[in-house]
Amino acid sequence: MGRRSLWESMRMSGRSIAGSPVRAALTALGVMIGVASVISLVALGRGAQEEVAGGLQQLGSNLLIVYSGEPRGTALVRTNTSNIRPTLTETDLETIRGLPADMITYVAPATTANAQLKYENRNTVSTVIGTTPEYTEVRNLRPAYGEFFSESDVDSRSSVVAIGMQVYRDLFAPGTDPVGQRIRVNGISFRVVGVMEEKGDAAQDNSVLIPITTYQRRVSGDSNYAMIAIQAASPDVMRPLQATIEEHLLRLHRLPSMESADFYVANQLDLLATVEGVAGTFTLMLASIAAISLVVGGVGIMNIMLVSVTERTREIGVRMALGARRRDIISQFLTEAVLIALAGGLIGIAIGVGGSWAVTEFARIASHITPISIVAAFGFSIFVGLFFGGYPAWRASRLDPIEALRYE
Amino acid sequence: MITMTDVSKEYRMGAETVHALAGVSLQIDGGDFVSIIGPSGSGKSTLMNIIGCLDTPTKGSYRLADEPVEGLSADRLAEVRNSAIGFVFQTFNLLPRLNALENVELPLVYAGVPSGERRATARELLDRVGLSDRVRHRPNELSGGQRQRVAIARALATKPRVLLADEPTGALDTRTGSEIMDLLEELNRDGTTLVLVTHEPELAERARQVIRLLDGRVA
Ligand SMILES: Nc1ncnc2c1ncn2[C@@H]1O[C@H](COP(=O)(O)OP(=O)(O)O)[C@@H](O)[C@H]1O
Ligand SMILES: [Mg+2]
Repeated sequence: MGRRSLWESMRMSGRSIAGSPVRAALTALGVMIGVASVISLVALGRGAQEEVAGGLQQLGSNLLIVYSGEPRGTALVRTNTSNIRPTLTETDLETIRGLPADMITYVAPATTANAQLKYENRNTVSTVIGTTPEYTEVRNLRPAYGEFFSESDVDSRSSVVAIGMQVYRDLFAPGTDPVGQRIRVNGISFRVVGVMEEKGDAAQDNSVLIPITTYQRRVSGDSNYAMIAIQAASPDVMRPLQATIEEHLLRLHRLPSMESADFYVANQLDLLATVEGVAGTFTLMLASIAAISLVVGGVGIMNIMLVSVTERTREIGVRMALGARRRDIISQFLTEAVLIALAGGLIGIAIGVGGSWAVTEFARIASHITPISIVAAFGFSIFVGLFFGGYPAWRASRLDPIEALRYE
Repeated sequence: MITMTDVSKEYRMGAETVHALAGVSLQIDGGDFVSIIGPSGSGKSTLMNIIGCLDTPTKGSYRLADEPVEGLSADRLAEVRNSAIGFVFQTFNLLPRLNALENVELPLVYAGVPSGERRATARELLDRVGLSDRVRHRPNELSGGQRQRVAIARALATKPRVLLADEPTGALDTRTGSEIMDLLEELNRDGTTLVLVTHEPELAERARQVIRLLDGRVA
């Protein structure tokens, strides 16, 4: 089909659409809803996926955590390890610290316990984490007020504490400066050195952090660690690093294999992969629901186009008598179907984009419009027009001119 | 121009076979004016459809401008209709959504003529049939006689050699009908071959040659 005849087909179709605009609009509605739902549902799926993945990154980057005991659940970070018997030793920690710098950036041991907190006449239940300043690097924690305790606090077993934002809210009246105040952790007096930024992670926000040495001396008396949190140097080394750590610790613990190990390594990569897999499936499911509605829209086009072909039988007969070839008739009806589908598609894209924006803006639900989904929706509406307009157009082109001319 | 030899057209209606045409032979020269007359059901329209390449014979041979029409593909037939034949129908068959000018342009669209040239030709033709002041009117804004004039202008658009008119005055009052007849005769005098189907003897008599059909045969 030449450029000129395509243009002629488009003019004719435009005529016919303008001749019954309400019908054309109703026909386009199905595709419009289909495309709008494809765009917005995929955007919501992507939004959810990115939010969860982002939340995982919040935990820290390139994070590996060696835990005492046997693997439990899929959680990467377990803030409360009070029910675990610590099996990780000082030697384990030093061995890991001794690994090459191109594998490891930060290492922090930690042990936790349930804690009863008290300030003046206020009480709250929390988790106390004994650790070192490097823990803030590994877990991506920052003080909102004051500061975190220092290495020298660890060395001197100081009774200092950095508290989570939720703990601050529970213990202190709004506007109170907590830095320098003394609170009791399981009855022992600690001086507050800082309040940590809110993470949105309830367990973290409701915890308090003290030097590991102080913890061992005054809270538990056990010299082992419940966990060792590690920031790998890059995502690429995370798997080899995990293997290296497992190898070293198995040897140190005199164990034959990970099956019988008294520790395990949780790897952020595994969790990311799981989460992205789940979220990807979710997006795919939403997309296919939306695609079904697009197909329904296409069936709507086919239905109306078939009606339109029947109604315009006489017109088709006249055109054939005047010299329209089969391909002229096909291109006329096909162009009409594609124009309607495309109009529906474009409006649908606008609604989908607008709807996703509105949901994020007003309902605070994450959504992410990807250019590929817009291009795909655009292409899909052309395809729907061609596919579902194809049969009616073919039917029109196969009419017998005499029968068509005689049609009332 | 038109040579038919022993042309038959049969329709199967269940077990029965209807012989719409049963062995028609005829010869129409270029520039001729021929009328086909006969009672209803005698096969006039069937004959016209075959002459106009809308239909093909079941048996016999039909040559248009010395070219055999049998065995042509649907698309080739469409091209022949476009370039060699002009149709004038009893009920005009104008497209209701297009104005007079656009209706006249239509055969030129299918001939692949560029839009500017098309418009100029269509204006000329509407002028020729006396409707230069009605080019933007849609069919429902025109009288019956005016509509038939638009249809005649449309039939002339590709300068076909044969004009086929099937009861062109059937839907018009006597005076308008006779004006349309005058116009057709004038076009014939200018060289176009005119084939007129009618059941009115007075109109048929105006032709140079009268073919009488009865039960699908030339009487
Ligand atoms: N498509 C068809 N199927 C069956 N019979 C037909 C068909 N077209 C025409 N006929 C029959 O052929 C005969 C001639 O029809 P037609 O050419 O329309 O006559 P006229 O135009 O002279 O009135 C009639 O008997 C008619 O019923
Ligand atoms: Mg008839």
